[in-house]
Amino acid sequence: MQLEITDLTRTFKDAAAVDHISCTLGNGVYGLLGVNGAGKTTFMRMLCTLLLPTSGSICLEGTNIFSMDGAYRRLLGYLPQDFGFYPDFTIQDYLLYIASIKGLRPAYARKRAELLLHQMGLWDVRKKKMKKLSGGMKRRAGIAQAMLNDPQILILDEPTAGLDPGERIRFRNLISEIADRRLVLLSTHIVSDIEYIAGEILLMKNGKLMLTGTAQELTASVPEQVWRCTVPRDRLAHYLQYYQVSNIRNTPDGAELRILSPSCPAEGAVPEQASLEDVFLYHFGEKEGADHDSV
Amino acid sequence: MILYEIRKIFARTGGRIALGLLLCTLAVSCFLAAHVYYVNGDGVKEYGYFAVQKLRAAQKEWAGILDQERLQAALRENLRIRHSPEAQSENPKDLEISFSRIQSIYEIRNLINLSCAEGFRSYDYYLADRLTSVNAADFYQNRIRLLRDWLETDARDQFTEAEKAWLIRQYEELDTPFYYDYVKGWRRAMEYFPTLVMLTAIILGYLAAGIFSSEFQWKADAVFFTSVYGRNRAVSAKVTAGFLTVTGIYWILAGFYTAFVLTFFGADGASCPVQADMSGWKCFYHLTMGQAYLLVLTGGYVGCLFLSGLTMLVSAKTRSAVVAVMIPFGAVFLPSFLSAIEHPLMNHILALLPDRLLDVGATLGYFYLYPIGGRMYGAVPLLLILYTALSILLFPMQYREYRNLLKK
Repeated sequence: MQLEITDLTRTFKDAAAVDHISCTLGNGVYGLLGVNGAGKTTFMRMLCTLLLPTSGSICLEGTNIFSMDGAYRRLLGYLPQDFGFYPDFTIQDYLLYIASIKGLRPAYARKRAELLLHQMGLWDVRKKKMKKLSGGMKRRAGIAQAMLNDPQILILDEPTAGLDPGERIRFRNLISEIADRRLVLLSTHIVSDIEYIAGEILLMKNGKLMLTGTAQELTASVPEQVWRCTVPRDRLAHYLQYYQVSNIRNTPDGAELRILSPSCPAEGAVPEQASLEDVFLYHFGEKEGADHDSV
Repeated sequence: MILYEIRKIFARTGGRIALGLLLCTLAVSCFLAAHVYYVNGDGVKEYGYFAVQKLRAAQKEWAGILDQERLQAALRENLRIRHSPEAQSENPKDLEISFSRIQSIYEIRNLINLSCAEGFRSYDYYLADRLTSVNAADFYQNRIRLLRDWLETDARDQFTEAEKAWLIRQYEELDTPFYYDYVKGWRRAMEYFPTLVMLTAIILGYLAAGIFSSEFQWKADAVFFTSVYGRNRAVSAKVTAGFLTVTGIYWILAGFYTAFVLTFFGADGASCPVQADMSGWKCFYHLTMGQAYLLVLTGGYVGCLFLSGLTMLVSAKTRSAVVAVMIPFGAVFLPSFLSAIEHPLMNHILALLPDRLLDVGATLGYFYLYPIGGRMYGAVPLLLILYTALSILLFPMQYREYRNLLKK
């Protein structure tokens, strides 16, 4: 199973939301990282044939996915960022309905729905109406519907938004369990989720793929050193203005900072191993007061 | 898939409220249709099923071929009642007693009033009281004469010579003397059906408006369109669900209403020509009461199907139920505003608008003719053919519109 993306571009009016992206995605988990407005959702919507590219192509084993119609969608599972549902359906009815439009036979659909309700911890609330579920439960129902047809291509846009830590762990384990047999592409703002499960990470900025690689490759790509130091609280503003600070923790001695800097930022600063969050900050972050578009 | 689509329609609170409103409308229509009284021999008004049965029995006494003999007998009976002391009295109670006696010939009396009227558009309730049995001779000929006079005077500029000749021929071709019977069941059914069907069309439009747009309203469109059947069978299921909802609800309501009214009043007179009732006396179509009611039902169905179909198409195109739901409202209420414009062409156009299908009973009385291919047609057959064809066309259009909605 290989998706070949060539020179993929999508413009809205004059702005390019996705700008000449080329990459090849095979089986495994891919994490898509980028700030809001980077073009992640547009990219995913094109992979789901919900949007036509302005130019470029997406091919599955050499065939353009837009000409495959139902044959491509049969392989696809998608959880949109803005996941909507039928508020007056119970979770079970919702899953059975989605199974029917995914072409699952009723007996198999019931089996799959039952399995996923158990896996997602929704079995006890299966008779509850969707509108009465908590945010986390709705998200889990969304993940369940995406996996109903046991898809070969699973695209999850912000799957862990609204999940509590326990639910996130369960989700990560589930994805890791199934990932060797299929292509999973997920986007999230929670960097640690990607760090744990993604074999390859795609960094998107301004519609372009600016960096791809494993977590190790990405962290190694940051030319700056990560430092940990404790500074007096009254100096905090100074550090925020002149350095990229990935973390602040208050201690009795002052503020403990995690700083990205080519040189030692303060007396007593200790060099640290860079994490994916530091990579994210390096590429997308800004110093306080700096004149950048990205946050 | 189809069942789930139907469930989506009625799972909404709005859907359930709409269904409740439909049931209320049905109940009110049945109640209004059944609100008929019979005045007994003591001059007291009676209501309800047994009163209707008395009225029916009284009018059934006069059922039969409405020939000269029966008409003369009716006129004699009318004069006898009018010359009775009760009819001459000024006491309201006596007048009610007098009315109780006239109920049996009330409908024939009305037909005589129309036949012997001064003009085609005139009606004088007391005219029969001034007539004698001699006037019965020209009962059927008068109908043709009045039309001819009207076409040569007041309506001379409204019709072409061919249309005038066709109308007169239609009148002449009526099989006379026709059979007269008690037809109150059919008449009451036709009288109150338009109210029921207009509200039904609006409510069905409301229900249909959400079938396509709700996917966007609920933000469920992305999952829907990325499913295997999201751009074919699932869209067909939506179209089918719309068709089944409109068809099911319409025929359940129409069936219940018809069954109730005809059970309450009796279905007598189904084979009488529509001209045997005052409301259809001037009608140029050759139909029995039963056939006319069947046309009313069919027209209502085609009207509801067309308006709901159009609503669904707009809903699929605009993704908005609010915009779509305006279609049935506009179709029902806009023509009443436009009818203020007095122009022959405008009248001909208005008679072919879909709201006319919701009141075929009234449209049967319209004198708008449409010459097509050397033949003359009234508005009713054209409405039925035109909107049936358009309704059928709307289904593939909805399908096409919705499945191609994305990817742009």
